[in-house]
This record gives sequence, C-alpha cells and structure tokens, in this order.
Amino acid sequence: MSTLTPDPAAPVAIERRGIRLGDLLFKGVAGVAALGVTAVLGFLTYKIFALAWPAMQKYGLSFIWTEAWNPNTNVYGALTFIYGTIVTSFIALLLATPLSIAIALFLTELAPRRLASPIATMVELLAAIPSVVLGLWGILVFGPWIANHLEPWLQSWFGFLPIFSGDPSQAGLLPAALVLTIMIIPITSAICRELFSRVPHDLTDGSLALGSTRWEAIRRVALPYAAPGISAAVLLGLGRAFGEAIAVTQVIGSGNAINRSLFPPGDTLASRIASTYQGASNNIEVQSLLYLGAILLVVSLITNVSAQAIVNRFQKARRMSTG
Amino acid sequence: MRKALGLALVVATVVAIAAVVGAASAAPAKKQDTSISGAGSSFVFPLVSKWIPALGSAYGYNVSYSPIGSGGGIAAVTARTVDFGASDAPLSADQMAACKGCVQVPWALSATSTPYNLPGLNCVVRLTGPILADIYLGNTTKWNDASITKINPKCNMPDTKITPVYRSDNSGTSYNFTDYLSAVSGTWKSKYGPGVNQQWPTGVGAKGSSGVAGVISKTQGAIGYVDVAYAKANKLRFASIKNASGKFATPGLRGIKAAAATLPKKITGDGSLSIVNPKKGNPLAYPISTFTYVIVPTSSSKSAELRKMVYWAVTRGQTYGPPLLFQPLPLNVQAFAFRQIKQING
Repeated sequence: MSTLTPDPAAPVAIERRGIRLGDLLFKGVAGVAALGVTAVLGFLTYKIFALAWPAMQKYGLSFIWTEAWNPNTNVYGALTFIYGTIVTSFIALLLATPLSIAIALFLTELAPRRLASPIATMVELLAAIPSVVLGLWGILVFGPWIANHLEPWLQSWFGFLPIFSGDPSQAGLLPAALVLTIMIIPITSAICRELFSRVPHDLTDGSLALGSTRWEAIRRVALPYAAPGISAAVLLGLGRAFGEAIAVTQVIGSGNAINRSLFPPGDTLASRIASTYQGASNNIEVQSLLYLGAILLVVSLITNVSAQAIVNRFQKARRMSTG
Repeated sequence: MRKALGLALVVATVVAIAAVVGAASAAPAKKQDTSISGAGSSFVFPLVSKWIPALGSAYGYNVSYSPIGSGGGIAAVTARTVDFGASDAPLSADQMAACKGCVQVPWALSATSTPYNLPGLNCVVRLTGPILADIYLGNTTKWNDASITKINPKCNMPDTKITPVYRSDNSGTSYNFTDYLSAVSGTWKSKYGPGVNQQWPTGVGAKGSSGVAGVISKTQGAIGYVDVAYAKANKLRFASIKNASGKFATPGLRGIKAAAATLPKKITGDGSLSIVNPKKGNPLAYPISTFTYVIVPTSSSKSAELRKMVYWAVTRGQTYGPPLLFQPLPLNVQAFAFRQIKQING
C-alpha cells in the first residue's frame, strides 16, 4: 500500500511541469502576436500619414471638400470620393441590414432545422466569393441588368426623385452599392444569426406562453435582446463597405463629378486608390492617393471604435436592467 | 494527451514562423546578371512578349516585363526598381529631370483605335477629330447628331445615346488619344490638354484596355479608345477617322506608316515624337498614331546589356511588329534611335 501512494502523485507532478512549459510558451506566442498586431497598426498609421504628409501640407484640410482630381494640372481633392464612399456604403447598409436580420430570424426561429443549416451554409458561402470575381460578374452580368431593367423600372416609378433621374448606366453608384450589399449580407447575417441563437429560450418561451404570437415574441423579446449586437454587426458591415476596393472599382465607373442621381459613375476612396495607384506617374499624385488612404483609415477606425463603444454601452445597460 | 497536442501545436507554430522568416531572409539569392527587368506600357506588351524569347536565344538575356501602365513604368525606372521603363507618352521635361540621367528611345510604332458598340449597323462609322472631342466633352450625346449623320450618308445612324468610355488608370493610350483631341480641338486643349489621365467631364471609366473593351461590349452606344492590336485581337469594330487631308483613314499598317512619314528627315531633340493629326498632303495617314518609348538610365550596372537589348529591339525586333499591327520604325526614326542609344553608358 505504501508503495502505491507516491505513484499517482508522480505523474501529476510531471504533468504540472509540462503545463507550465506549455503555459509559458503559449503566453509568449500569444503576447508576441497581440503586441505585434498593435505595433503593426500603429506603424502603419504613422507611415501612411508620413507618406501623405507632403500632400497634406500642400492642400491642407481643404483637400477634404475640394471636388477635383486632375493629374494633368496636379489639382487634387477628396470630396467626390468621400461622397461616393458614404452614398454607396449607406445604401448597402440600408438594404443589407433588414435583409440580414430577416435571414437570421428565418434561420434561427422559423425554418425547420433540416432546411436551416444548408441555407446558413449557402449564405456563408456568399462571403467566400472573392470580391474580384463578384466584380467581374458585376461588369458582365449584374451591371448590364441594372442598366437595362432595374434603373428604367426605378425611373418609371420613382423618376420624380432626383436620385433616380438621368440616363441609366451599367457602371455607377447604384451598381456599386448593390454589389456592396451582396458582400455585406453574409457578414451581418452570420453575426445576427449567432445573436438570435443566444437569446435564452426561457424568454421567448415565456413570451409565447403569455399568449404573444411568434412575431410579437421576436419583436418584443428577441430583437431587443440582440439589438446591441446587431448595431455592432451593422457597423462591421459598414467598415467592410468603406474599405472594399476591387469589386467597387469594377462597377463604379471612375466618375469625377458628384451627381444628384445614383445612376452615373462616381468613385469611392478605396476604389480610386486601387484604380490609379499602380500607374501614378508623379509624387504628388501618389501622396494625394495616400491622403485619400489616410482619410479612409481614420473613418474606418472611427467606425470600428464606435461599434465597440455601442456594444459596451448596451451591455452595461443590460447588466444594470437585469442585475 | 490534449495538453501534449497543444504543446505540439505551439512548437509547430514557432517552427513554422521561424521557417518562414528564414526562407524570407534566404530568398534574395542573386540570379545571373543577364536578367533584365522592365515595366510600363501595356500598349507595347504584345510586342515585348514576342521579343523576350527571341532576346533569350540571341543573347541569353532573361528579360521580364510587367505591363503596369506607362505612368507606373516611368515611376519605376525613376526609382530604379526596374532596369528599363516603357511609356507611350514621352517624358515631360520635369519627368526627364526627375529620372536623373535617363534617355528615351522610340522603339515601336502603332495606333489607337476607337471601337464602338452599335449592333445592327452594317457599315464602318466615320468620325472626325472635332466630333470625338465633342463626344468626350459631353457636347455631342446622340449617334444621330447632325454632325455625325452628315459624314455617314451610307449609315443609318440610330437614335442611341453615346456613352464615352475612358481609361480610369493612368495610361499611354489616354495620352495618345488626348494628344490627338488637343490637336484638333481648341476647347479640349485649353481645358484638359494631353495627359496620361484626365478629369474626364463625362462618360464611364474602366481599368485597362480589357476594362474599356468590356464596358464597350456591354453598353449599346458606347465608344472608347484602345490600342489597335488589342481591338483587332478582340474583333472590336472601330471607326475610321478623318485626317487633315480630308480622307477617312483606319488604323492599319498603311495608315500608321503614312502618319510616321510626316516626321522631318533629320530628327533632333529629347526623343519625344508626336505624329497625331499629321498635316495635309498625307491622304493615307491615320491621325491617332503614336510612337512608344523605352526609357533607360544612361549609366547602370547593366548598361552594356541594355544597350544591346534596345539596339536589337529597334533593328531585328521590328520584324516581329507587323502581325501585331506595329509598323516597323522608319529609317529616320531608327537613325535617331541609334543616336539616343549611344548615350547609354557614355
């Protein structure tokens, strides 16, 4: 018996030592990775600003509200691109948010499980389409369809709105916004699905037991519960839309002017950088493109930080109300 | 067991990272010094890609070329990240100064075509320089505009909206086209001028020749401009353009040759040769023809090889041109090219 007692202790001790080594290694790797990413972000931001500095000095803040991009006379301004970025992203959000919520609700609350999981997979596969492929489809199929069918239809019903005036065009702000919508939906709907599946069943069941309909249970219980997460998901989608370059470049048509209508070509910050950086022939053009990059970076950082802030605030509020 | 697995995973990750870092630092092992890198014009790319294997068998040079666009080629050779640059737009005085000891040599001759999309039209549309300028200025917006129907009596011009298509990236083709527009339209010249890119007042932008061709083929009533080799290879229908002699010319080898023949016998200057809108007396001349240039630093570690390569290109290399719609350089331009080449490795 006495020989048995130390036996179980011995492997434990060895195992402990193993854990410690593993812990140490893991801590090191994880720490380096985390600090590394932070350092990269800081360095990148610094470098973009440093490289764009000559353009910032030359054009100052008025760059932001100047509507010009002329490599011949070296007059540059960002307004057309800021306008294009905001308009395309917000239309994309406006369309993608309700659709994503509907998809997520269908998958978590309404669809039978046999149907739900293949559909969920398909929606997520949408995210796997490389944006350049989506852009090609935009040039060859989607853009012409918009110009020949969607835009004339919009015009015949809502032509009195200035945003649907003018000649239909296969490349423009509207095609870009719709391509962005397709790109955002998988991200926001996946997050929303996750959020709805976390709504405690006690709550929805309780609501149903009190006599509310399925829709009432969703509206009064599930939606408020998931609201903070949804707003964060939307902001993440917005970040994606702001930054998307290639697919937008392919369908937006590189316009140089701000139009009231959504039909004619425009351009976004990211897409102007993508389409002209490689061939930029002089320093000030490159620096101006980097200035656009700096604006985009700042806007994206602000979007992401506010997404986090919103989540934190809602969580605090919820903790206080439930606790 | 699971912990061991975790540990193994961590170790594997560390090893993998180390391997990648190691590989990266070991990568820049130098190849032989007969490898020559170039970048720039996509216009000249079809010809250069024929030259590359021929240069390989003639001299054993391993030439690589990235068709990133003329603007990018100028920037790359200025920064000396490549051994030579190629551009369809001649270097401006500022760019020449910035390149610090570069010489530009005309090494190919071709033209820019103006393809259009008008299905069901069984004739070649005729256009003039001023009409093209008005289309790109946004003044002429319909295919049955009086100015167009007047010179196309045999064509039944449709009541279709004209969508001008332009290159959104900086491109030598844009330079050639807007150089021509500046030559034929005072308004274009004063408002925009020639340039590798413009603040285009109207139309749709697309990236690269393929992008422009894609938009044209998908948009009824579109017109654009791409190098003629690309237009021919992709079976695009393009307009014939009225030259200064009042004749309508197409961008074929004959038309390009006639345009180049308008240069003076003895060519001087820094190497920029504009042959857009050649003057009266050349009835065959196609008015949107252009030379394209190679830009080489006068002194570099590969001067001897570059000198040989460019010399080969402007002599033997020219025989590869005609099937691709590159007209061989005329003798006076070739003689000028020789003088320019002499400056390499002075």
